[in-house]
Parts: sequence; structure tokens; C-alpha cells
Amino acid sequence: MATKPPAPARGERYARFGLSPRLQHAVMLVSFTILGLTGLVQKYALSAVSVFIVRVWGGVENLRTTHHVAATVLMLVVIFHLADIGYKAFVLRTRLSMLPGFQDVKDAWTALSYNLGLGRTRPQMGRYSFEEKAEYWALIWGIFIMGLTGFMMWNPLSTVNVLPGEFIPAAKAAHGAEAILAVLAIIVWHMYAVHLKRFNRSMWTGQLTEQEMLHEHPLELADIKAGVAGEVPAPAAIRTRRMVYYPLAGVAAIVLLFAVYGFVRGEESAITTVPPQLATGPVYVPQTPTPVPPTPTPLPSPTAAATSQATAAAAAPVKWAEVAPIFAGRCGMCHGAALASSGLVLDTFEAAMRGGQDGPVIVEGDASGSPLIMIQSTGGHPGQLSADELAIISAWIEAGALER
Amino acid sequence: MTVRPTTRFRLAPILVGLGGLMLVGIALASSVQAAPALRPPAQDQPSNDYCLGCHTQQGMSRPLDDGSVLPLTINGEGFRRSVHGEEDIACVDCHADIEAFPHPEFSGESRRAVTLDLYAACEKCHAEQYNNVLDSVHQAALAGGNANAAVCTDCHNPHEQRRLTERQSGALLPEARLAIPQTCARCHSSIYQTYKGSVHGAALTGDGNLDVPTCIDCHGVHNIQKPTTARFRNETPQLCAKCHTDASRMSKYGITTQVLNTYVADFHGTTVTLFEQVSPDTPTNKPVCTDCHGVHDISLVENPATGIAIKHNLLLRCQRCHPGVTSESFTEAWMSHYVASPTRFPLVYYVNLFYKIFIPAVIGGMLVFVVSDIVRRRLEARKGRAH
Repeated sequence: MATKPPAPARGERYARFGLSPRLQHAVMLVSFTILGLTGLVQKYALSAVSVFIVRVWGGVENLRTTHHVAATVLMLVVIFHLADIGYKAFVLRTRLSMLPGFQDVKDAWTALSYNLGLGRTRPQMGRYSFEEKAEYWALIWGIFIMGLTGFMMWNPLSTVNVLPGEFIPAAKAAHGAEAILAVLAIIVWHMYAVHLKRFNRSMWTGQLTEQEMLHEHPLELADIKAGVAGEVPAPAAIRTRRMVYYPLAGVAAIVLLFAVYGFVRGEESAITTVPPQLATGPVYVPQTPTPVPPTPTPLPSPTAAATSQATAAAAAPVKWAEVAPIFAGRCGMCHGAALASSGLVLDTFEAAMRGGQDGPVIVEGDASGSPLIMIQSTGGHPGQLSADELAIISAWIEAGALER
Repeated sequence: MTVRPTTRFRLAPILVGLGGLMLVGIALASSVQAAPALRPPAQDQPSNDYCLGCHTQQGMSRPLDDGSVLPLTINGEGFRRSVHGEEDIACVDCHADIEAFPHPEFSGESRRAVTLDLYAACEKCHAEQYNNVLDSVHQAALAGGNANAAVCTDCHNPHEQRRLTERQSGALLPEARLAIPQTCARCHSSIYQTYKGSVHGAALTGDGNLDVPTCIDCHGVHNIQKPTTARFRNETPQLCAKCHTDASRMSKYGITTQVLNTYVADFHGTTVTLFEQVSPDTPTNKPVCTDCHGVHDISLVENPATGIAIKHNLLLRCQRCHPGVTSESFTEAWMSHYVASPTRFPLVYYVNLFYKIFIPAVIGGMLVFVVSDIVRRRLEARKGRAH
């Protein structure tokens, strides 16, 4: 965990970053990139690029899971970093050279003046230049804001227990804007400082050459040469402090890990909600009576016909004059003289009694034996007679099919 | 001047040609409509008067195998006023097995069986609509063995169907639009009752308002799709947005057109929209319009009993997916289609405002350092002064 104190290395190489900060940087680099990519895709979800990335990622839910995993990793890096700083500060009593001071403001002003041609010299930097401190503290600020607003979005139910609901869309707004700021800052500040101005490999190799030290950290180099930097405490002192620090840091780490666990898994319901229930009811509920026309007409039932027949028979016998209008109206279209369908013509008494091509259709005195009644009673004949009409004709036949 | 006759002479065939093209164009345009290709009645086929001579008589029917009767009486006046009557479609165009009287031997299992036999005739003239129906949920149900599933003639009684669309433009006639819910209600009467009570249905069935959606605006006409699929659900926001982002329609009622973009900008809407674009057939548990506003029972948001502008009502909707929620404050986590302003969701507004200033300030400051540093180093390099 401990960084080796920067001591004059063999030749002209100077140790700058130990394994621990290099490892933290590498893990953070990966998680930051994934967070930025998967986050901005969600912020600008409907751009063609985002839709493409979401598709490649296997859907937005997968993308969000990746975002959450990367965020969790970053939170773990933060805990590790705190433990690391604690060790350096408490056990090794290393100078807290990353703390900003008034000197940094002066350095920034001197640098800007020099760049603008107003000053004669560049500022002389110590272990961490004002640029590096600005970047470090910007990152601390960014992680704090992102963690806080991320928590609110990840745990909206817990959030509204203490804050108004409006904080959740506000958190979303801040989270997205802060992401833009972070990504732009990395591109403008970090890329320029360590990639474009001069490709600084020390975050990977851990070392700087004497030449580089002279250019970038001359005050630190002077301290090293003077032997005032990187004083290592006595081994006995380190052992004693460790015995205090390890249990304390362990407890703190466990508390923080629990906090992260709560952050990540505390509110399942907000993420894995129950699927919305469609209000379902019966779909096929036909109206009754079914209003689809045409409406069926009941067939003459034998009993109804018989009753009508009986009443008709009880009265005066039915004559041709009564049945002729029925034949003319109902049957005349086909069984008129013009068409004489099936050879049957019902225009006149004589023709009606003569019958059609298959013989007579009216058997005097025997309505149920008359083909005309038989055909009509089964129904479905074009020119269907109503029950009443059929009863009159039956009565007429029963009465002997009289002409007058 | 002397050139003119020649020009006119040459123009004539062109004009005739153009005129001909226009006529063809008009003919083509009209044939796009549901109107069938008209043809003169064939000489040897019986006229409609011949058929209606018998078939307008009351009480004509035939018994069917299942003991029911098939009514055979046609309302003659109704047919003459129907679109088929107007267009002189012959009875035998559809009843093609009948050439004259006496008719060929006929038997049917049931009225439904007869209908299912006969409606196939519609394809002859209405192939486009018929084929659309083949892709519909009704056809799928029919193929799955549900004989009740609607076929052409269940919605359009071929003997009395009046003209539904304007002949030239193909636009749905206002009276046809008003009658749509009743048509669907024949089979979906309970949904119709729900719809009638909704803000849309009450406006249509009560006030004759033609701006509101009727069944077909959401479900389509002939190729009606199953509305319970993931795809239908994922496409719902776009469906509602068809009208609700239409400023000319919404301004009449003072309704905002910001409903889609505010939804899409929110977590729920972003998710659903991405599902719709990336994997429309995959279900998501994030809500769409209908999960909060209802489906056939959409009510005014200001309605005291059901409207979701009332926080208590909205909370009930939230709880359907977030059962752990008890505080009405949670409803504020969703900005209810509002755009943040100093009066509505001021915190969101001021956070946005802060970053609108903060981001350019920080990045701008960085750029001042970086650019001045680049320039300075270039100048030094040119002077040959190694730093």
C-alpha cells in the first residue's frame, strides 16, 4: 500500500508513483471511460450513435447494468484511495503534498502571466503542480457530485423519505451536466497536460528522468537532492502506528463497504419493478340481441298453423278471391305467366289447380298433402309465405280449394 | 406569327396526350379507393331487380343444419342506398354460384358457417382490405379456431353498407367516423362502455367531436394488431404522440404538445423509446402513456376522482410499479410532463442554469491556460529558446 519514499534512483531516474496509485489510476481509467460512455449514451439516448451503441450493448438494461457495475468499481477505488492516503498520512507521515494552498493560486497566476507574455519566468513547481492539484480536486468534486446524485437516482424511495421528490429530477440534471463537465475536463485539461504537451508515462512506469524532474518538479528535485524529502520513519515507529491504523482502517473500510452495498442493492424495487398490469377485461362481449341485420324471422310452426287453420275453418270457407292476392304478391314474380318457373303459374284459379311440371301442387281437401304447403312449410323457398298467409291457403285447400 | 399554326398543330397531340394521362390518373386515383373496378352487368347474369323481386319479400328464410334459420330477406331500399347499390354491384357478383332461379341446392351448417363461406367473395373487389385483414388479430383468432372472430361482413353488412370514404380523396366521411365505435361495440361492448366514459369517447359519442381518437385511430382498420404485445406497448408513446404533438389539434383544447419530449427526456420514456428502437418485441417494465393515463378509460387529468394531476391519484399509479412508495412527494420525482421553470420544478431549473454557466466557465478557464500555453511554447520553439 505504501509508496516508496522518492529517493534518488539509480542513474537519473526518480520514483514518482508507487504501484498503488498506478493501480488506482488504471482501474479508475477503465471505470471512468465506461461510465462516461454508458452514461452519455443515456443522456443523449435518441441520437443515432447512442441507439447504435445501445444495440451493440444488448439493450439499455444491459447498458445500465454496466454503468452500475462501473460505478460500484469506482466507489471501491475511492475506499481504497482513502485507506491509502490514511496509511501515508498516519503511518508514514508523508507530507500531504496534494493539499491546495495559496501558493497554487500564485503559481497559476504566474503561469498564465508567463503564457500571455506578461511574466518573465514559469512558476517553479513542487511535487504536485497547480495543474495536477486542479485535476485531482476536480475529480474529487466530480466523484462526490456523481456519487450523491447517482445515489438519489438509484435509490429514489429512500431519497424521498428525507428530501422532496423534486430532488430526483434535479439529481438527474446535475448527474448529466457533471458528466459533460468531467468528460470535457479530461479531454481539455488531462489530455493536454500529460499527452499533448509532453507524453508523460510516469503514471504507468512510475518514474521520471532527472531532466523531466528538473522541468516539471524542480522544487521537489531540490528537496530530494537536499535530502529533506521522503524521510522514512524508523521501522519501529512504522510497526507501532500500523498496529493502531490497521484496525481503525479495517473498521472504517467495513463500514464504507456496507454503505456501498446499501447504495447498490438497497432499493431493488426501484430498479426491478413489477411489470405494469394491463387492465384486462373480457374482450369479446357481443351485444344482445346481436344487431347484425337481417334479423331472422321465425318459421311458421305447425301448431301455429294448425291453430290458425282451425279458427279459419270455423269461420266461412275460404274462397279463391282471398288467396289470389297472396299468390299474386308473394309468388307472382316467378310463378306468373311471364316466368312460369317450374311450369307453375298461380295467376289464375285454373292454372293454379293445373300445377307445374311435376304435377299438381294443390290437393283439394288435403292441405298437408299438397306439395305447395309442404314446400312452404319447410321454409326457405324464395317468396316465403308468412305464417298467417300459409294458414289462409291451408284453410282454403282444406275447404276444398273452391274457386268461389 | 406564321409559326403559330405549326406550334398549335404540334401542341394538339401533346394536349390530347396530357388530357388522356389526366384521365388515366383520375381513374387510377379513384381505383386506389375501396371502390371496386366497375364493370357493366354481364348480359347473361340476372339483374338485381330480378333477385330483389323475391328477396325483398318479408319472411324469406331457410332452415340450417343446426336448427337455426338463415334469413333471406334483403331490405331493398337499404340496398339501393348502400354503396354497392349506388355502384350497381350485382347480387351475383358476390353470390357467384347463383345464376337464376331456381337456385342450386343449398345447405349450411349454421348462420356463422354460411357467413364464413360467403365473405371470401369480398376479396374480388376489395383485395387490399381483404389482405390487410389476413394480417390482423381477427384473422389470427379465426385461424386459431375462434369462429366468432370478425370477418368483413361482421363490420360491413354488404347489403346495407353505406359509403364510408369520400370517393375521390378516400378520406373517411364524418358520419362514418362517428359510427365506428358502435360497429366495434357489436363484439366489444364492454370496452365500448368503458370508452364512452373516457374523455375521448365522451367527446365522440356525446358531442360528435371528430378530433378525438376512435377505435381505429389506435388499433388500425383492417390489419388490426393484437394490442397486448410488447411491440404495441413499446410503440404506444408514438401512437399517442400522433395527435398529442399536433399543435393545430391540441391548441383548440389548450393541451400542451410537450408531452412526448418531456416523457422521452425522463428515465421511463428514455427506456421505452430505446426499447422501441432497439428491440421492439422485448417487454419492458417501464411505463408507457396508458399505464398512468389508462387505456379505454382515459380521463381528464384534472378529474377529481381519477385524474392524475391530483397527486393522490398519481401516487396510486406509481404504486402499481413501485409498491414500496407511500409518500405523495414521490410523485414529484416525475415532472408530470412539465418543462422545468422558475415556478415549476425550480430546483431542476436552477441546477440546469448553474451548469449552463459553470461548465463554460470551468472549461473556458482551462482552455485559456491550455491555448496560451500552446501559443507560448510555439513562440519559444520558433525563437529556438529551449525551455
